[in-house]
Amino acid sequence: MASKPWIATSASLLAASLLLAACGGNGQNDQNSQSANSSQSQAPSGKSDDGKAVRLTFWNGFTGPDRPGYENLVKQFNDTHPNIQVTMDVSPWDTLLAKLPTSLATGQGPDIAAFDSSLITKYAKSQLILPLDDLYGNGIDPGIFPQPLANVMKYEGKFFGVPANNATLLLYYNKDLFKAAGLDPEKPPATWDEWIDAIEKTTKSDGSDKQYGIALADHATIAMWPILVWGNGGDFVSTDGKTATMTDPKTVEAIKRWSDLVVGKGASPTNLTGAEADKLFQSGKAAMEMNGPWATAGYTDAGLNYDVAPIPAGPAGEVTLASSAVLVAGKNTKHIDAVREFMQYWVSKDAQAQLSGETGFPPVRTDLGDDERLKQNPFVPKFAAESNNAKYYLPGLEQYDKIDADVIIPAIQAITNQKSSAEDALAQANKQLQDILDGND
Amino acid sequence: MNIVQGRFSPSRKQKRAAFFFLLPSMVILILFVFWPILNSLWLSFHHWSLLDATHPYVGLDNYRKLVHDGRFWNAADKTLYFTLGSVPLGIVLSLGLALLANEPLRGMGAFKAVYFLPVLTSFAIISIIWSFLLDPDIGLLSYWFKELGLPSNDWLRSTTWAMPAVIMVAIWKNVGFNMVILLAGLQSISPSLYEAARMDGAGPLQRFWRITLPSLRQTLLFVVIISVIGSFQVFDQVYVMTRGGPLNSTETIVYYIYHQGFELLDMGYASAIAWMLFVVVLLITLLQLKLFRFNDID
Repeated sequence: MASKPWIATSASLLAASLLLAACGGNGQNDQNSQSANSSQSQAPSGKSDDGKAVRLTFWNGFTGPDRPGYENLVKQFNDTHPNIQVTMDVSPWDTLLAKLPTSLATGQGPDIAAFDSSLITKYAKSQLILPLDDLYGNGIDPGIFPQPLANVMKYEGKFFGVPANNATLLLYYNKDLFKAAGLDPEKPPATWDEWIDAIEKTTKSDGSDKQYGIALADHATIAMWPILVWGNGGDFVSTDGKTATMTDPKTVEAIKRWSDLVVGKGASPTNLTGAEADKLFQSGKAAMEMNGPWATAGYTDAGLNYDVAPIPAGPAGEVTLASSAVLVAGKNTKHIDAVREFMQYWVSKDAQAQLSGETGFPPVRTDLGDDERLKQNPFVPKFAAESNNAKYYLPGLEQYDKIDADVIIPAIQAITNQKSSAEDALAQANKQLQDILDGND
Repeated sequence: MNIVQGRFSPSRKQKRAAFFFLLPSMVILILFVFWPILNSLWLSFHHWSLLDATHPYVGLDNYRKLVHDGRFWNAADKTLYFTLGSVPLGIVLSLGLALLANEPLRGMGAFKAVYFLPVLTSFAIISIIWSFLLDPDIGLLSYWFKELGLPSNDWLRSTTWAMPAVIMVAIWKNVGFNMVILLAGLQSISPSLYEAARMDGAGPLQRFWRITLPSLRQTLLFVVIISVIGSFQVFDQVYVMTRGGPLNSTETIVYYIYHQGFELLDMGYASAIAWMLFVVVLLITLLQLKLFRFNDID
């Protein structure tokens, strides 16, 4: 029976060599093999010098209802630029952000990536993305962007990103629930007093038909509590980003006032995620919600009778959250000129008018005027009108995600879960935050 | 003639064949299991942020930080809570089900299939379904509770009830697996033992305590160890159902490792926590082995 071991040996050798070959192949084509759900068929990254088109990879997290808008834009770019072919690789934001730094640091990663503007500081400081000052000097005039938006594209005075989109938050309110509570559905609240009154009137905390005045998400969400803090004139960090201000009397007062409403009056469930808040509003269990332009499509499809209005003005005036995704150039790109061309196309008048009409986001430019395509979506002007009152959350801070996840969210939850008084929780958080800002963490 | 006196002694050729058969899985294990494990030990002695270009050696700093990290101890506490909540109850339940399934009754095949079904389903999907069922506002379970006039609560949004809900789902998911293992153990007990006991006049309870349980000791040991290790490493359903919340009330150690490593990108610190967990699991497993052996002697 001597032949059997021999066959076995060669069989396993074969298997081993196949395996090793597979491993090697994966390593070389990592950039391409990861794009399982890319919008186009894959080809190995080509070179420009042999006359073929330059191939760019573009990683982003546009998984929402606005996705087709971005896909159309990329497709149009590819159709009009035969020398450059951009391939989108869309994955959820948290997946994208877990793999992006590693792949960039190991010499791979995409030519272009999109992520929240708050991450520019971290990536620019670690030199994982390339400065784009050349592009701004020659091709893009930063004056076309709203001033606050242009500011968050910078790190240490240099531009590192081009705005991919631009969002503000508005107050969504359910007209039917307003009517049922004896409120005028055509006259949304304009001040905090009117707002709190409307919240109290639309809250039904006992009985079998529970209903919330507002769905106020505190984690896994676009920032909502910060808008309330700003409305009262408070903040979390000083404008220079060096001092924690969570014990500022105005910050404390704002958080106390709203947590009293949430805990004492049952105006909103506690420990709510953004997705849960959306569900509550969409199912008519919450009368109001603060949300961005991406939500209109879903609510309209669901047949909800709703409208949007500016966030009611607090004691410190009208304010809302600004949020924007940015396009950045990966440090390993070999085609920086093609990357620049793509970015320039993205913020061009035509592209922005079309994107805005399709996604419902305000355009990133302020000079589109009355372009007909913007009117495709009646909500666009309303979101765009708030750009001047809109603030970025924790702008320019390297430890943005740590501050949000480990300091601010736990502090608010400790208060709304009644584990701690507002004063104690904020004092402790302030100390923690100052440590992070000082680099002592 | 390799088989002499019932003992197998492989020839050199066979040894070589065996080596090549084992080679592919060894390569995979070394590349994707052993090397990363050792590498993480190396990482744990460095300040290793995925974003930084340099990774300075910091000695035991990460381990020192861990000792003073309140959130780590909270995670350890919650992991213990999960383990104590899910393992004993889960094993008692699966033993009960295994005893039932061992009875020669009609429809036992369907019975076993129903309880084994959750085992075959992915934890992510199960967690999503249960999150819907448990939703306090639009969930089916909350609705039934309300219709039946039973007190309901906020389940996954409550700092008190989120962990019991996660434990309940874990038990529901794993009970079928443990049932099948225990059933195999039950079926390997010789019927002659029971016959002899019956002749001696032993009742059902006595038969259970004197025959079933002692004969199942090895199987139980296996199930206990696997369950304890599994619950110390609980991650999937926490990730999908609660993301460690609300207010870290369901944040287990592995979830905290994920948070540090993949959300804050601090691989050095995440590795230190992972090694701490490894040491604890190792100690507990050794302890369990010792306890069960100790029982063997008397």
